[in-house]
Amino acid sequence: MALWPKKKNSEITRVCDPDLDTYAVFDDVSLTLGQRPVLKNLTLSLSEHRIGIIGLNGSGKSSFIRLINGLRSPDNGTLTLFGAPSEKAEPELPRHVGFVFQNPDHQAIFPTVEEEIAFGLTQLGAGKDESRIRARAFLAQHGCEELAANPIAELSEGQKQLICILAVLVMEPQLLVLDEPMTSLDALAMRRIFGKLMSLPQKIIMVSHDLSHFEEFDRVLWLEDSRIRMDGPPQQVLAAYKDDIQLKSGTRMELAAL
Amino acid sequence: MADRSLVHIAFYAALIAALGLVPPVAIPFLGGVPITAQTLGVMLAGVMLGPVRGGLAVLLFLFLVALGAPFLAGGRGGLSVFASPSVGFLIGWPIGAFVAGWIMRATNDLNVLVAAAISATVGGILVVYIFGIPGVAYMAGLSLPKAAIASAVYIPGDLIKVAITALVTQTVARGLPGALFTRS
Amino acid sequence: MISIYLHGESWAHRLPASLKLLVVAIGSLILFRVQDFWVFLPCLAVVVGLYASLGREGLMQLKLLRGLSMFLAILLGLHWFSGTFFEGVTVVLRLIVMILAANFVSITTRMDDMLEAVQPLFKPLQWLGMSPRRPALGVTLVLRFAPHMLEVFSMLREAYQARSGAKNSWRLLAPFAIQSLRMSDNVAEALKARGGAEGLSR
Repeated sequence: MALWPKKKNSEITRVCDPDLDTYAVFDDVSLTLGQRPVLKNLTLSLSEHRIGIIGLNGSGKSSFIRLINGLRSPDNGTLTLFGAPSEKAEPELPRHVGFVFQNPDHQAIFPTVEEEIAFGLTQLGAGKDESRIRARAFLAQHGCEELAANPIAELSEGQKQLICILAVLVMEPQLLVLDEPMTSLDALAMRRIFGKLMSLPQKIIMVSHDLSHFEEFDRVLWLEDSRIRMDGPPQQVLAAYKDDIQLKSGTRMELAAL
Repeated sequence: MADRSLVHIAFYAALIAALGLVPPVAIPFLGGVPITAQTLGVMLAGVMLGPVRGGLAVLLFLFLVALGAPFLAGGRGGLSVFASPSVGFLIGWPIGAFVAGWIMRATNDLNVLVAAAISATVGGILVVYIFGIPGVAYMAGLSLPKAAIASAVYIPGDLIKVAITALVTQTVARGLPGALFTRS
Repeated sequence: MISIYLHGESWAHRLPASLKLLVVAIGSLILFRVQDFWVFLPCLAVVVGLYASLGREGLMQLKLLRGLSMFLAILLGLHWFSGTFFEGVTVVLRLIVMILAANFVSITTRMDDMLEAVQPLFKPLQWLGMSPRRPALGVTLVLRFAPHMLEVFSMLREAYQARSGAKNSWRLLAPFAIQSLRMSDNVAEALKARGGAEGLSR
């Protein structure tokens, strides 16, 4: 592992087409972490406005969504993101794909709200002062101007997650990928954040254990044992998933399935 | 992945800072010489991160101290610590972490516990004192032997830190092997 | 932000950080050459005068010397034993002047300004193909990790106390290292997801 990689000059020409409708095409994609296969032979393409991901812990959900924003690269098969092969698209993906993590404490890097938002803008090349001004304006636009100077550590869980979402949105991505974004929130904060997310023009891929979130979605993917178990409209997939859980929980408690 | 390197460097720099907040333990049979946990962080940075990143972690820590963060044991910070007689030890820290990391790499076939103990002793004590003692001598106008005697009171405490470094390294090697960069 | 910086609007606060750093650096180099005991007395008066110009709060900052007094006394004792008492006094005075002067810069300069003043020193990183922003980002990350670590540690301590009754143990160090390392991996991932340390502007 090189400590500081040299900047590659070839990256000056952009390879991604952010306006492409079908943003991800998986062709026989597999991924292994260490010795453990986490995704096996996935073939599918993604273009819908709202896509939900369900599945038990360890089914490969996190790895799947991490492939889409370049945090992981496939070991086998070809993955095409925004029209470019994933390894070429990778350096550009943070522009197009916003990623929101489960725990806001892991995502927020900077001490204050304003700096956290401004970071995304400096990443895109804006100067320090310009970023600050635009960050404030952006916060005001989303009704959060009074939080600007606050330390992130002192916000409520709901506020923290909202800031993390805004910190990603300020980079104006075409797609928002969310990894169980509401797990640490109380019922009210969850509802507010969910409502906020659904009002966004961006395309969304979201992982959640709360199935009710997906009722209005366009498509739901059910992952099981590193494969797609079912893929379709929410009514069918959610119903089948619920039945399956019912079935599994009726049997003797098996350590292997816990 | 370079971002991961930067984050790990920052992580160990923060660890050294956090260890500076651990209250000093005075050991009675040593005449109450206070032992701080800070050099433990220096040893850990070298042994766990390896020479380059370990050394950079300590440098980053010292950079923060120079900028004014009160991260040195006892809440000290700012430029004044670099004008004090202990400046030699501070200079020795990043070099010591580098050497500790280098030895840890070089002793790849040795048992983790033993390798970590050797690395921490040579890097975290020997190298640090090689820079520290002349520093005291120069800044305080003392002869080298006198400066050495004045500094030697801290060595028993440093040996305890070597033991802790070795134990922690071994535990991490079992609990999160990927975090022991000198062995992966 | 955690810093020894003293909030204020004094003349010393308004001076550019780079100028203050330069003066202290050159001053310290000169003082090292000086062996004459008498030179240090006016120097000491000037430095104390600097603190006094900040008002009462400035003079309170001289408490820094209290932490050093024990060490300086031992130092003086050692010199007295070796029959170099006057040299000892010179050394002690020089240390006091240099430490106070350096500290004066630190308490009158915001960390941000200090960082900005030394930023040009990182320009050469560009020749190596990396962003000169890296050290600054490193500083931010350290300031973010340090309080979080204390939180992780107190959480572990509670968990340990709940099952053992004991409060502190070195045994906590390893799980602490493991837990907080996991956290740092998460932060690394989050940083990469937003374009990494090099940014996206190329």
